[in-house]
Amino acid sequence: MRKLAIAAAMAATLVSGTAFAEYPEKTINYIIPFNAGGESDVSARFQQPYLEELADQSFVIQYMAGAGGAQAWSQLNGMEGDGYTIMGINLPHTILQPMEKDVGYETKDLTYINFFHYTPNALFVPKDSEFQNLQELIDYAKANPGLVTLSGSGSNSANHLGQVQFDELAGITTTYVPFSGTGPAVTAILGSQTTGGFNYVTSGVNNGDGMRMLAVASETRVKAFPDVPTFKELGLDIVGGAFRGVAVPKSTPEPIREKISQMVTDVNNNPEFKKKMEDAGFVLTDITYDFINDFVAAKSEEYREIAEKLGIANR
Amino acid sequence: MELLSYFVSALTPLNLLMALGGVVLGTVIGALPGLSATMAVAVLVPFTFTMDPATGLIALGAIYTGAIYGGAFAAILVNTPGTPSAIATTFDGFPMAKRGDGSLAVTLATLASVVGGLVGGVFLLLLSPPLAKVALAFGPPEYFWLAIFGLTLISALSVGNTLKGLLGGCIGLMLAMVGVAVVGGDIRFTMGTHTLLGGFDIVSALIGLYCIPVLIDLVATPDRHLKVEQGNRGIRLFEAFGLAWKSKFNVLRSAIVGTIVGVLPGAGGSIAGLVSYSEARRSSKEPETFGKGAPDGIIATEAANNATVGGGFIPTLVLGIPGTPPDAIILGALLVQGIKIGPTLFTQQGDIVYTFIFGLLIATALMLPAGLLIGRYAYKSIASIPKTLLVPTIAFLTVIGSFAIHSNLHDVQMMLSLGVLGWILNRCGFAPSPIVLGLVLGKIAEQGFVQSYLIGNATNNITGMFFGRPISLAIVALAAFTLLYPLIFAKRKEKAKKRALEAARTYSETNGETTVSPTEEIKPAPFDPLAGLKKQFAKPRDVAGMFFAVLLIAAGGWAYSQTATMTPMGSVFPSTISVTIIVLSFVLLGLNIIRKPAAASGSDEASHASTPRRVALVVAMCLWVFAIPVLGFATAAFLAFLILARVACFEVMGPKRLAIEAVAGVAIVGGLYLLMAQVLLIRMPTGLLF
Repeated sequence: MRKLAIAAAMAATLVSGTAFAEYPEKTINYIIPFNAGGESDVSARFQQPYLEELADQSFVIQYMAGAGGAQAWSQLNGMEGDGYTIMGINLPHTILQPMEKDVGYETKDLTYINFFHYTPNALFVPKDSEFQNLQELIDYAKANPGLVTLSGSGSNSANHLGQVQFDELAGITTTYVPFSGTGPAVTAILGSQTTGGFNYVTSGVNNGDGMRMLAVASETRVKAFPDVPTFKELGLDIVGGAFRGVAVPKSTPEPIREKISQMVTDVNNNPEFKKKMEDAGFVLTDITYDFINDFVAAKSEEYREIAEKLGIANR
Repeated sequence: MELLSYFVSALTPLNLLMALGGVVLGTVIGALPGLSATMAVAVLVPFTFTMDPATGLIALGAIYTGAIYGGAFAAILVNTPGTPSAIATTFDGFPMAKRGDGSLAVTLATLASVVGGLVGGVFLLLLSPPLAKVALAFGPPEYFWLAIFGLTLISALSVGNTLKGLLGGCIGLMLAMVGVAVVGGDIRFTMGTHTLLGGFDIVSALIGLYCIPVLIDLVATPDRHLKVEQGNRGIRLFEAFGLAWKSKFNVLRSAIVGTIVGVLPGAGGSIAGLVSYSEARRSSKEPETFGKGAPDGIIATEAANNATVGGGFIPTLVLGIPGTPPDAIILGALLVQGIKIGPTLFTQQGDIVYTFIFGLLIATALMLPAGLLIGRYAYKSIASIPKTLLVPTIAFLTVIGSFAIHSNLHDVQMMLSLGVLGWILNRCGFAPSPIVLGLVLGKIAEQGFVQSYLIGNATNNITGMFFGRPISLAIVALAAFTLLYPLIFAKRKEKAKKRALEAARTYSETNGETTVSPTEEIKPAPFDPLAGLKKQFAKPRDVAGMFFAVLLIAAGGWAYSQTATMTPMGSVFPSTISVTIIVLSFVLLGLNIIRKPAAASGSDEASHASTPRRVALVVAMCLWVFAIPVLGFATAAFLAFLILARVACFEVMGPKRLAIEAVAGVAIVGGLYLLMAQVLLIRMPTGLLF
């Protein structure tokens, strides 16, 4: 039965490219290269029902965590490129990891399809912190170099880059304390274990009562937090965070790549989806398949500069 | 009363059905090593979107709590924790099953799990907001000390063999360091391969270290895997009730420990089980029975790990910080449904939250009948199934379980190599449990240590960070108490023994019966601080131990040389451990050089144990793993099933039995394959065939 199906599928591909017009015809595996509950998982869960409605097929979210995502990305091109395997992909991760060391894939080897949102960095302090605004924190850090501790998710991550930029532009020295994910990093802020922390804006939505957001690293203010100023408004040119999207194995045919990109864009344009995402603190973007390689190239240059300052641009 | 109305709304037929179905499904998934609650919950989340939020949550919570409980089955029946939470259940569960008390062990695990789950649930119901504060009070130093406390269990697990236990723990800690470091971002000890980037997966290590040695020894002799119970004593419910009632303080203490550890994000069921096991052993009147089939060991672990379910929901619902990976998925599901997490959840959306909590409590209670029913058949079938089916089935479960973790053959290879290594190490006196403890606790200890150091260094208060915080100090005190208690206890036990002997003597004198031989007179041992050392020297030389000591010195040296290129953050822990390994190995080596060589004696191993069969099993499993990408998962599994059945066959079988077992083989392989590929939707390698 199964063999018959495979044979039929093979015959169909041989006949002509029009077979792709039928795509998708079966369940699609959506692999998240992180553990459940993180921003990558949650945003994919938001997409799931809308994608299913559009494609009239089910999307199954699976987790393949390990090595900060590198475990999954290094295996992506070895997977079947029939369009039924798609994988979440994140910037700056896929740029910084291979820049620092050999992790089994190169930035250029990956087939990026569409970045559909990003989560800007934001600087948080606990609710009962003495620092009411960014300037107070900067003044304190200036007077006490190194004393301010800032938590974040992992070393050499988007959070870490935010802290490095903050130190440089504000002319201060803070201590970065890496945690094993956004959850533990936020717990450290909530429990006043650290002075504050760099985290994604989305963390401010779930734990809004326990933390104060001092500034957000986006071009314009985030819809979920209209009262929080951007770093730019406060005179520090820090714009950063993590972009998330989908990628496919290299062997995936062009028409299917375009179709997936279109589906992701269509979901982004759904007003209901848009509202849910924005309420949760995500910022929607629409970097489609046609532009995505230029986008990644531009970002690569931008991140290389910061990576050199961090001393991690080894390759 | 308002709460009561929520209880009634949890009692709708649909909610009850979800609770029962979830618990049964969860128990089955938890009982299969490698399949986790996380996986089951992740697959089922989309289905719950079509349900009423409370009903969906009840289904997910029921699966979760069922899976944590189900882990005990594999732990008791095949010495492999079905989930990491059941690690400590293997310590006493398997010895009980081996001696024929398997039904009692399963029934005890069920009772303890139900009570533990209910206690955790009641805390969730009544004390969530204050308990969530505990999660916040736990900072990096507390996590570091908690991990160290867990590691002190090594000393209890390796009585009489402390040196090898410590070395085993260090090996586990070292394995935990492999891969990309969270703190510092270094790539450590991967030897240039990408397969090790993600490190050693705990679940695949558990399956390998615990289950492969069982398999290897299973094929060596025609003896039964478990002793079949004498007579028909059923599930021994009353006996189990009696034992549990006698240990009511143990149950309660373990359940509370489990709830609190569950509240801590990043700790989880495995640590809860280990900590309460350690506490139960310490406070027991007969600590020497622990590890040899003590009912209290099972009670403690199972009460604690099911209590973490309720505990884990506390930070998830109050703070939006998931306590465990399944909680993380459930949290995601809540967000997608547009439910706002936070302290206001309990007041503004009480109908959902309280209905869910009552549903979870009902599901936990339903575990009692469901678990007893499943347990009744599970033990009987494992104990009575012929080896020709049991061996290939367990082997298939190890392969499919380790594959399922990441849909990845690397984990299967790792599982098998660690398993063979574990068997060899075990034969040389290095038990698997210290290695597992090191592996489970290593990352938590390292991150806690480095984070504390960074914060302490920034605030110029490193000592205060580690030794100046009340919760830390309490944990340190408990750890010290656990370590030193056996020493204090040994004295007390000697006194008690003397008293018992005297009583027996008076008894024998009055009755004229000689129950105690006069030679057994106990002299008070003269105080000799070097007694332990002398005892150590008196043992015969351990050549295998010396061989491993040399290997470990070489490995430690290599590991130390690797730390030179790491960042200070990433190198502090591995360099400390590698130096410890080298020092301990030199002690082991030196001790054995001083010892006298063992008197030449015949192999102490039972003469009927077959080494060729053991080798054949390992070779067959290696070939199997290599054949998967070529032949496809199902084909390779079925061929391997047939070969392993031959390896485990000690008798001549008639054609009828052969046919029956072949059909059973197809059914088992096919059934589990379908469960994986079609129900849990795990991507299976197809290869040439399927």
